Amino acid sequence: MARKLRIWVDHNVCVGNAMCETFAPHVFQLNANRQSEAVNPEGDTEEKILEAAENCPVSAIFVEDAETGERLFP
Amino acid sequence: MAMVTVHDDMFTDDVIADPYTYYGRLREEDPVHWNDKYELWVITRHADVVWMTRHHELFSNVVFRNDPRPAYPAIPASDAPLYDYVRQYQADQFIQFDRPEHLEMRKVVHSYFTPRAMEAWRGFVKHAITELLDAAEDRGHMDVMKDFATPLPVLVIAQMMGVPQEERPYVRHLAEKLLYIARGEPERMQPLVEGMQGMMEYVAPLVNERIEQPGDDFISVLAQGEKQGVFTRHQVLVNTSLLLLAGHETTLNLLCNGTLAFMRHPEQWALFKTDPEGLAKRATEECLRYDAPVKSIQRLAAHDVEMRGKTLRKDDRIRWFITSANRDPEVFAHPDTFDIMRDPNPHVGFGNGVHHCLGATLARLEGQEAFKAFAQRFPNLHVETETFEYQPSIGLRSLKSLPVAFT
Repeated sequence: MARKLRIWVDHNVCVGNAMCETFAPHVFQLNANRQSEAVNPEGDTEEKILEAAENCPVSAIFVEDAETGERLFP
Repeated sequence: MAMVTVHDDMFTDDVIADPYTYYGRLREEDPVHWNDKYELWVITRHADVVWMTRHHELFSNVVFRNDPRPAYPAIPASDAPLYDYVRQYQADQFIQFDRPEHLEMRKVVHSYFTPRAMEAWRGFVKHAITELLDAAEDRGHMDVMKDFATPLPVLVIAQMMGVPQEERPYVRHLAEKLLYIARGEPERMQPLVEGMQGMMEYVAPLVNERIEQPGDDFISVLAQGEKQGVFTRHQVLVNTSLLLLAGHETTLNLLCNGTLAFMRHPEQWALFKTDPEGLAKRATEECLRYDAPVKSIQRLAAHDVEMRGKTLRKDDRIRWFITSANRDPEVFAHPDTFDIMRDPNPHVGFGNGVHHCLGATLARLEGQEAFKAFAQRFPNLHVETETFEYQPSIGLRSLKSLPVAFT
């Protein structure tokens, strides 16, 4: 079974480039302010989520193993 | 409504020399301002610029294809065919599309420019900086513009394109013609078209090669996009030169404007020199805010839009001013102070939203390494002129030269 992830977006940094929505559309959605939110950490595979984080142009996305706290990105 | 005391000529000597006073007054008096002379909306508040950049569906980036108005500032009537060529050329740049096409095109090139991928270029950038500064050091002085900031981005972009060493001077020659893209002088179309045509001819055989035999260079990335059916051949060619059109003068402005900001604020320069390695990132962000490389960006209204009691009509021309948004007192304390410790620093130097600058990470990296190298190698760096002249451009904040001495 896939491990549980803790995912968050730093809104001091997020510029609303929206590429995360493209890479992991069931996890990331733009809010009313047009910044990204991790709305459902189980919405896409870990691979897609890490790809979304990697492709954030301003490195605003953080991913951790929810149980161990291990930082998976960045 | 408050009286607007500002004239509408955005190309007078005083506005070019000091855009901060002019656009700052507009930001106070009439933040959504119809400029009758150039027939466009001038947007100057940070909140409005952020809102507009994030609402790409309301403000179209298909400007060259859809804006029928003539070039501004004006060009000779005999140059109209040249302007047509420039428009058709620029219309095929991927940044000149809206979604959904823009997304498909950006997906092809986006991963090449991720922060992690760009970090791998830091070594190359450092090496290129060392070589340029070695050559300058022997002379004891340099023009930061001509001897450093102009060649550096071209060295990096030529490497990204996979241009062989012996052909780099030719690419640099073309790159310097492409710099006319953002100039204001009436006779700018001829050299610009020569640069564009020259790039098309130079790149065409490279594209053929990379279609057959892809490598890890940027032309191969675009060639892959053609194979996937996302780009036409013309778009591949045009988007190759987009690296230079979008990445050259912008970066060189960051390097020059940032250096000048340090030189005019000796206490900030002294502070930076105490820890160049540790402060380079924050200081570069402040350079991007304080005297941003790009002054303004143009869009066309895709719908009627209400803003601050005004109605922007569909197809109206709009320019938002990074220059004034970055000095908005609603967002930045002491906005006219150059403060390299500023944090957070939500400047809009690279825009925002789906069109956020693709090369932002690379520009940041070049700025960080350049300012670090100056501080470490030339602690006594100082400007050797009292007068500073800027290119007569509405879009870019470009010094004409920046002579400095090292001791």
